[in-house]
Amino acid sequence: MKKSDTAIVIPVYNEEKVIKKTLKELLEKRPQDEIIVVDDGSTDNSYNEACVKGVHLLRHIVNLGQGAALQTGIDYAKKLGCKYVVTFDSDGQHCADDIERFIEVLRRNEADIVLCSRFLGKEAVNMPTAKKYLLKMAAFVERVLTGIPLTDAHNGFRAINVEKFPNFVITQNGMSHASEIIDLIKRLGMRYKELPCTIKYSDYSIQKGQSMMNSINILIEFFLGKAVK
Amino acid sequence: MIFIKIFLIAVLTVIFLLASLSSRFRTYQRVTLIFFYLFLALLILFPQKADKVAEFFGIGRGVDLIIYLAIAILSLTVAILYAKLKINERAITKIVREIAIMKSRKCE
Repeated sequence: MKKSDTAIVIPVYNEEKVIKKTLKELLEKRPQDEIIVVDDGSTDNSYNEACVKGVHLLRHIVNLGQGAALQTGIDYAKKLGCKYVVTFDSDGQHCADDIERFIEVLRRNEADIVLCSRFLGKEAVNMPTAKKYLLKMAAFVERVLTGIPLTDAHNGFRAINVEKFPNFVITQNGMSHASEIIDLIKRLGMRYKELPCTIKYSDYSIQKGQSMMNSINILIEFFLGKAVK
Repeated sequence: MIFIKIFLIAVLTVIFLLASLSSRFRTYQRVTLIFFYLFLALLILFPQKADKVAEFFGIGRGVDLIIYLAIAILSLTVAILYAKLKINERAITKIVREIAIMKSRKCE
């Protein structure tokens, strides 16, 4: 089997219904890449469901949070010798066809991190209106706080050049890692680029996604984490 | 009055002994603790004196002084506990991550 320089990291937490489908689609479209699944201490059958031929399967013995799962995946990708890491959601809302465009930008060395924005280009499929404004507001707050003009701060789809930036380490275990990543971009002086990507909002992902109230928790978590650091 | 004083001093002594026996303190922490214990014991024995101390600090009554002190100390305790919790969380993350990578497998 030929070695790939790209790893796709998928954090999983209680996604037994969809994980297999997501992985099969990914394996079909990206057979050359290393696919790393990090089960974040799921209490359902996700760990066994995620065991699809060809994927690297890791498991947190206790639930730590999505940020921690991503970092575990990044650590493992580095161990495998991968240069680029793509983070991908497990619930099937991201499109495997978009990965190549993201990686291409890194390969051509046009940016060090590529982020997905559902607000660039074509509108996201079936996005609830309330969620749309919440995300736009989150992006605005982040723009004011960090000075980095991103249009969609909280999107799980990113491509990162980890070879060039070994210091890219997520320390916020919970959901506030998205804000931390923007903080990292600023601190490490990474060149960033936003690309449009397709996000499919299924009934499943709407139900599983972040609730409105939780976004306030995330903000508080982010500030507390910063204070302690 | 004398009974409640004896009772409060007894409670204070028990808490102090438990605190100093059950955890490992550094010398300066121990000394601080002893002074704190003596301070509180004196306050219980001579509550009127607290008014004098309060007056010295420009606070109305001795009881107010004690309330302010209690709030300050409790806030500090919460802050210290939060920091320790975060340190703990980081340690657990490290351990769990290490185990996850150690036990990683490629599915066939």
